[in-house]
Amino acid sequence: MNNKLDFLQELGNIGASHATTALSQMLQDTKLELTVPKARMLSFAEAANFIASREEIVVCIYTRMIDMIKGDMAFIMPFSCAVTLANHLTGDDREQLNEIGESALLEVGNIMLGSYITALSLLSDTKIKPTVPGIVIDMNGAIWQSILAGAGVTEAVTILDTKFSTAELELSGHLIFIPDNAVFEALYQKVSSCWKPEETL
Amino acid sequence: MAKTVLITDDTAFMRMTLRNVIQKNGFHVIGEAADGEEAVSKYKELQPDLVTMDITMPKMDGITAIKEIIKYDANAKIIVCSAMGQKPMVIEALNAGARDFLVKPFDAQRVIEALHKASS
Amino acid sequence: MTEVFVNMGEIRVLRSTGVLTTVGLGSCVGVSFYDPITKVGALAHVFLAESRANSDRDALPGKYADTAIPALIDLAVKAGASRERLVAKIAGGAHLFSNITPEHLSVGHRNVKAVIEQLNIYDIPIIGKDVAGKRGRKMKLYVDTGVVIVTIIGEEPKQI
Repeated sequence: MNNKLDFLQELGNIGASHATTALSQMLQDTKLELTVPKARMLSFAEAANFIASREEIVVCIYTRMIDMIKGDMAFIMPFSCAVTLANHLTGDDREQLNEIGESALLEVGNIMLGSYITALSLLSDTKIKPTVPGIVIDMNGAIWQSILAGAGVTEAVTILDTKFSTAELELSGHLIFIPDNAVFEALYQKVSSCWKPEETL
Repeated sequence: MAKTVLITDDTAFMRMTLRNVIQKNGFHVIGEAADGEEAVSKYKELQPDLVTMDITMPKMDGITAIKEIIKYDANAKIIVCSAMGQKPMVIEALNAGARDFLVKPFDAQRVIEALHKASS
Repeated sequence: MTEVFVNMGEIRVLRSTGVLTTVGLGSCVGVSFYDPITKVGALAHVFLAESRANSDRDALPGKYADTAIPALIDLAVKAGASRERLVAKIAGGAHLFSNITPEHLSVGHRNVKAVIEQLNIYDIPIIGKDVAGKRGRKMKLYVDTGVVIVTIIGEEPKQI
């Protein structure tokens, strides 16, 4: 079991590193601090309490993997950070998001989730099919709850959460990956024969 | 005369970014499409010299759109610009008839090089 | 005034005074019960429609619509409410991620349908509702009056 979590953690680590590298490139090579993702196995009640500030307004870009490898992936950032990021990308100086700002954030999320998924595909040697990503601006709690319900999480759930931040732009956010338990068990069996935790991929 | 380009991407921001880069470098953006279906119909309508193609899009994905366009015009010059760099997807796109595959985020220079290469 | 938060899958009850609050109803549905005479108020935060499809035996009582409604009745009655006087107000069941599924297949849509069905089965009248749409909600039940206030980001709070 620990090996499986280690394995997922390594997948998450590489995926999130690729995603933040992509973000850094889009921000003219701004340096981004990244926490090592912790793969956590949570009960339903723990998952329900995973988000602390439920009322905070956040921007979330979300996709679901729908083919062989199933799972849910989201890029979530506080509203104020999203505005900063949108301004930076569009060269605006607004306090709210306009249509093009939202579109820019959707594209950034799309690229980050795409990089994460590309890394997962490379590591697992499997084609991963994501849905077209969508952008939602709402209460943190409502978004989190909808992700869990949409993913059909009813009992234990594994969550990979990576936090990133950069002092230069006052940006921070989360990359959350919820792999489907059954599918990742199978994937682990497939990959683990040639994978050892101490080796770097 | 400047070569004409049809831009295909489902986000308005990416279409705007590509348009800026492409126009600044001596190409003419003849149209934009927000999904695969629109790309196919605009290709037939506008007969562009070059096409940039996103992969993950609503209605019709980029791979299907490439196949449809190539079915209509075997010489179509299509360059993929996708956030997804998965190997099987790259191979599928190239097999379908795409000339090049750029993974986002990309340098403006890379896009222009790919357009030049495909149009020569 | 006491404020009791009701998280996903939970049910809570208060009598005479205080407020029952659930924050972050996306596809979830908040179901409030109230007895105006004894001033007993109860609130459930329903996560999914049906419990039958899986073997989730240790589930929280408010997690599924079909278990939440009878559990909420029991809770309210034990706290002094009259079964016959209970009235319900519901909020939530939104469809946030329209990129994934069409509205009529969404979890929110199914949740609202299941909650209404269960309330009909148990013969609890629905006297207020604010459901569906694309936005998340906050729901507050004021136990001294039975008033329910629903808040959506960027809109004026409304009373149901």
